[in-house]
Amino acid sequence: MGSMIAILRRQPILGAVLIAVLLYFFGLASIDGFGSTFTLRSMLILAALLGIASVGQTLVIILGGIDLSIPFIVGFANVVAAQLYGNGMNFALVCLIVAVLALAIGAFNGALSARLGLHPLIVTLGVGTFVQGAVLLWTAGFPSGSAPQYISNFVSIGGSIGPLPFPGVVPAFLVMTLAVAFFLARTPFGRRLYALGSNPPAARYALIDPVWMWAATFALSALFAAIAGVLLLGFTGSAYADVGKPYLFQTIAAVVVGGTALVGGRGSYLGTFVGAIVLTEINTLLIGLGFQPSAVQAALGAVIILLVSLYGREAHLREQI
Amino acid sequence: MRETDCCLEAERIVLKAGRAPLTVRFRPGEIVGLAGLDGHGQEVFLEVLAGWRRPLAGEVRHSGRAGGAPRPIRNFRDAMRRGVAYLPRDRRRTGIFPALSILDNFAIASLNRDTRIGFISPRIRRERYSRFKDLLSIVADDPRRTITTLSGGNQQKVLLARLLVREPDVLLLNDPTRGVDVATRQLLYGVFKDLALKGMTIVILSSEIEEAIFLSNRVLVFRDSTLSAELSGVELDNDRVISAMFGRAA
Amino acid sequence: MTATAAKMKGQAERFRLPGIAGIGFAGLLFVVLLLVNVYLNPERFLPHSWGTLIGLAAPLISAALASTPAILSGRGGLDVSIGPLMGFVNAIVVTIIIAKWGLAGPVAVWVAAIVIGAAFGAFNGFLAAIVRIQPIVATLGTYLVLAGLTTTIVPSPTGTIPSWFSGLSGAWSFIPLLVIGLLWFALTRTPYYTALMATGSEDRAAFTSGLNVTLIRFLAYLVGGVFAGIAGLSLTALIGSADPNIGETYTLLAISSVALGGVSLAGGRGGFIGATIGALDIFLLQSALIYFNVSTFILQTAYGAILVLAVASTAMQKSSGGRDL
Repeated sequence: MGSMIAILRRQPILGAVLIAVLLYFFGLASIDGFGSTFTLRSMLILAALLGIASVGQTLVIILGGIDLSIPFIVGFANVVAAQLYGNGMNFALVCLIVAVLALAIGAFNGALSARLGLHPLIVTLGVGTFVQGAVLLWTAGFPSGSAPQYISNFVSIGGSIGPLPFPGVVPAFLVMTLAVAFFLARTPFGRRLYALGSNPPAARYALIDPVWMWAATFALSALFAAIAGVLLLGFTGSAYADVGKPYLFQTIAAVVVGGTALVGGRGSYLGTFVGAIVLTEINTLLIGLGFQPSAVQAALGAVIILLVSLYGREAHLREQI
Repeated sequence: MRETDCCLEAERIVLKAGRAPLTVRFRPGEIVGLAGLDGHGQEVFLEVLAGWRRPLAGEVRHSGRAGGAPRPIRNFRDAMRRGVAYLPRDRRRTGIFPALSILDNFAIASLNRDTRIGFISPRIRRERYSRFKDLLSIVADDPRRTITTLSGGNQQKVLLARLLVREPDVLLLNDPTRGVDVATRQLLYGVFKDLALKGMTIVILSSEIEEAIFLSNRVLVFRDSTLSAELSGVELDNDRVISAMFGRAA
Repeated sequence: MTATAAKMKGQAERFRLPGIAGIGFAGLLFVVLLLVNVYLNPERFLPHSWGTLIGLAAPLISAALASTPAILSGRGGLDVSIGPLMGFVNAIVVTIIIAKWGLAGPVAVWVAAIVIGAAFGAFNGFLAAIVRIQPIVATLGTYLVLAGLTTTIVPSPTGTIPSWFSGLSGAWSFIPLLVIGLLWFALTRTPYYTALMATGSEDRAAFTSGLNVTLIRFLAYLVGGVFAGIAGLSLTALIGSADPNIGETYTLLAISSVALGGVSLAGGRGGFIGATIGALDIFLLQSALIYFNVSTFILQTAYGAILVLAVASTAMQKSSGGRDL
């Protein structure tokens, strides 16, 4: 047991994968229909939505920050897209507008935090609160509109692509995961992200511009949150400014369960991918076992603590001197 | 000294209010040592040369490899881009990226040279690395392991390689042998002398007088944020350097 | 080593002062908002209304104070479970201590609130300081557990409280705040406070000069938990029943208050006065906007804008004062 934990600590993704597999078999053994196509499909869709919303959180945490504006940007994109599309605007244009606004908000978050040395937690919280308030004001609290049919089909529980028994968002999520992992490993931006997160003072001597990096990374985070918001519009069918609320902490949980430490410079999106799956499995499992939503929430909290204490512990101070 | 010989020149630099301005020219192929008691301005001067710090007055000018009239250096990025490379003092705080691999640490300041259509090619990167691994005799079994698995001396070699791969014509070194074992020191001395022979200008701040004297063609001794003495040739010896450090006439 | 210790001691002494500079913007905002509020609604600010007024502000102020010790302890120290902990105390006190066990007296209620607060504070401290899980993640876990438990115990608003308890949101509303204030004041007179500030500003130096950093951090969460328990009493007095939905909302408001009041989220800088002023800013802003009968949407937009403006202007004040290299 002890040596297993040691391995998990060195290879946290492996730990997360192991837990995902164990949870799956536990579900098969304890709940009728856990292995059914329907359950599997809905888990994959939910994991995909969480995974997409968590891309930005992963990047930002590798950079050594944290982004609390994700739920607000999710809600913002959700409502604005629905509203504009409902007003008869071309959906491609709608997406462009939402994307540009999200990028701008994110860039502001990052640039302000880095330029003035502010804690991103407060900046993103303030900016997010502001953005959501503005959206609510604009729609007077009653957003209307919906997503075009093809977006709904793309994420629908009943959807399928060709012979495959799941909607487009599932393979898209897999492709996106590989793309993000490749992006982090093989682009100058990806490597600078790790370097800056690993040692900010050294980064400036290596010609890495922190303000630009923070602005770009938080902009990307907002962009992915916006994508999740638009997809959620297709998933739920109608706009709702608070739709992103669960993602406030779930994105952080997915990153951490995936083995990425909050200290910066370490971690990977593959971990977050597994983390999103683990969280979705636990949720489905607990609901399947007949827990009330409130009990599911409590159990989820306990499980996060348990998992992270298995392999997400920080080094003792004496090892950091 | 002809104007065109000069590739880096410090023109009437004032490091501290009320101190005498200093003007120094650095020629290609020359190794210049900076010495002084801690905090007497030599480190500030080096950072000014690197564009990292702005002097109170005066400017640093640099003429590129192609020659031409020297132009002022605007900032650190500008200096690095034009071939003035700076190795900071504190390896752990401002040098290495502890979570990153040896390869990443090596390539981080020259990432765009590894890319093909925007993506890093591991092959190009390894080729670049292996050149410097041989040149600096970096002892590392697997360059994909984190840099913290290396000894201090080898970490320093990787940091030096990070700068050299940018092919600078001026190399500014802030106490490069601090906390480095004797064997590595000897190796680094050889490398510095080779680079100078090939025409690179090297400015080295050393906290050890013997090192500065052994390596340098001339040594600039700082006292109270200005130049106290400039020693070269037969004048360059331990006693004179120490006297100048303490502000006594030799 | 002695040099570091001396330096830390010097810093700690500097931090002991409330530091007008650190709360400049928040202090200014406080004065402006207070004037606006008094002008709009003088009746509410007359002495005979003070009890009610303090009762309205007390939950937020004490939530902010409860968040402060963990943040001061540094290295990402943060307790996001403060809000749900207040909600949990509210639920347990009303439905179990008072309704089920019939222990409606002040002693039982106060003891229960403090014990619950201390227990969960200690749990958070155990996770963050001893198990060494990143604090935001550890307390997020506690957040989910507490919020879930609260909703399980009290699915919808229910229950009543005895009249002495309601008095804690009226004439006696200052009592819970006073208790927290006195506890904190007593702490600042002990070596623990100096050690906490030293740990928060430079934990490695604190560790190498022989401080028990783990214990210091653990206690910070414990103290915050106790304060959150008392904050739960103020909250219960104010709403007069058990409500599963209100507690959670205090977490982010409390963290905003603390940041607004110039407490550095990096640890080791700031204090109780700053956190109180930050909470008062948010409270007064809230009450001014409510007076105008504007929608909660404007309120929310204004929160966000002021929060960002406040932290940004505080930072600019500091950087214009010269950045040390």
